[in-house]
Amino acid sequence: MNDHEQMTDSVLTRELRQSLTGITAPQRPPLETITARGRAHRRHRLTGIAGLSAAGVAAGAALVLGLTGVLGSAPARDTGTIRTAAFILVEHANGTATLTINPTELLDTAALQNDLRHDGIRALVTSGSFCSSDPAPDGFSQVVSFYPPPRSGFVRLPKGLRPTITFNPAAMPAGTELSFGVFQLTPHQQVDFVLVYTSSYTCTSTPPSGGPQGPGALFQVDPPNPAGS
Amino acid sequence: MGVSQDKSGFADFFADSWEPCLTVVAASTGSMALAEDQVAEAFARAWASWAKVSRHPAPRAWVVRTALNTGASWWRRRGRETPLANHDIAASHSQGNGLDAVVLTALRRLPARQRQVIVLRVFLDLDIGTTARQLGIAPGTVRAHQARAMTALRRELAAARATTEMER
Repeated sequence: MNDHEQMTDSVLTRELRQSLTGITAPQRPPLETITARGRAHRRHRLTGIAGLSAAGVAAGAALVLGLTGVLGSAPARDTGTIRTAAFILVEHANGTATLTINPTELLDTAALQNDLRHDGIRALVTSGSFCSSDPAPDGFSQVVSFYPPPRSGFVRLPKGLRPTITFNPAAMPAGTELSFGVFQLTPHQQVDFVLVYTSSYTCTSTPPSGGPQGPGALFQVDPPNPAGS
Repeated sequence: MGVSQDKSGFADFFADSWEPCLTVVAASTGSMALAEDQVAEAFARAWASWAKVSRHPAPRAWVVRTALNTGASWWRRRGRETPLANHDIAASHSQGNGLDAVVLTALRRLPARQRQVIVLRVFLDLDIGTTARQLGIAPGTVRAHQARAMTALRRELAAARATTEMER
């Protein structure tokens, strides 16, 4: 490399570095969202290691007892965490809970509703329908936060990325619950969230389009893998 | 190291490093939204392995490389690890988040390994040895990738400027 090229390299290096200075970075997500996701990774690793040693024994027992289906559907639980193939729900010491959804797996809405209620989150989780109150209760943004954050209540996730939802059940107004509607559409699945009054709401099988009308959020993610793939 | 001390160290690292890591990954991928998720995922993995990452010689490089690896599989699935078409260049102009479309296009046209070397050597200012260890390649290979990448970037940026001049 001659002197001219070295000089050109330093000018180019400066130009490349300067190209970063104009970038406006969005606000960083809450630390708790990151650490919850990290803990889920750690548990996944540990479950995997434990699973390797336990799998042989368990599979043998299942064959003898004919219980393979039962083993496949049972969620793994440890303190404060519920893990299924489709979601991980982590309960935190401060009373909040973080839900990470794996869009490649079909969501068992009844199981999710039960597990959310187990963590103190009054939820109405429906498949193929969506319930709402008109007008909607206030306080949605204090009860639920999302990562990645929806823009104007809407987010379309690239394939392979998993949305994280943090719930603060203490902030839920009395007499309300969280409506959580899941639609299998073509070519994506859609998940809608709003707060509803427990005593007054209506449900529709028509998926909301273009983002929620009031306080709420709408996620579009790729469809789950076909069964057995 | 206790858990609270551990978390406080990670919290400081996260607060100091989120923006620098995000801007580097955004410049490499061309999408701020995608970079946000990739960097968040990389920080989550850093926390999951914090005992190891906190002793890493360049923890920010670990996060950036993990974020780019997370994204690489996404790009591969979409067949986008190939040179950009013109509509991508136009799209990057309209993002409004300060990404330099010309530099971005030139970077995205580099082969993945050359781009990784530029990210670590130029954007994160790592020395050759650390870059080589980070990428698991020989120092001489880092030099070769960097030289080829700089030549290609010089050529791309000069061509982009010439086109801009002609359009005026």
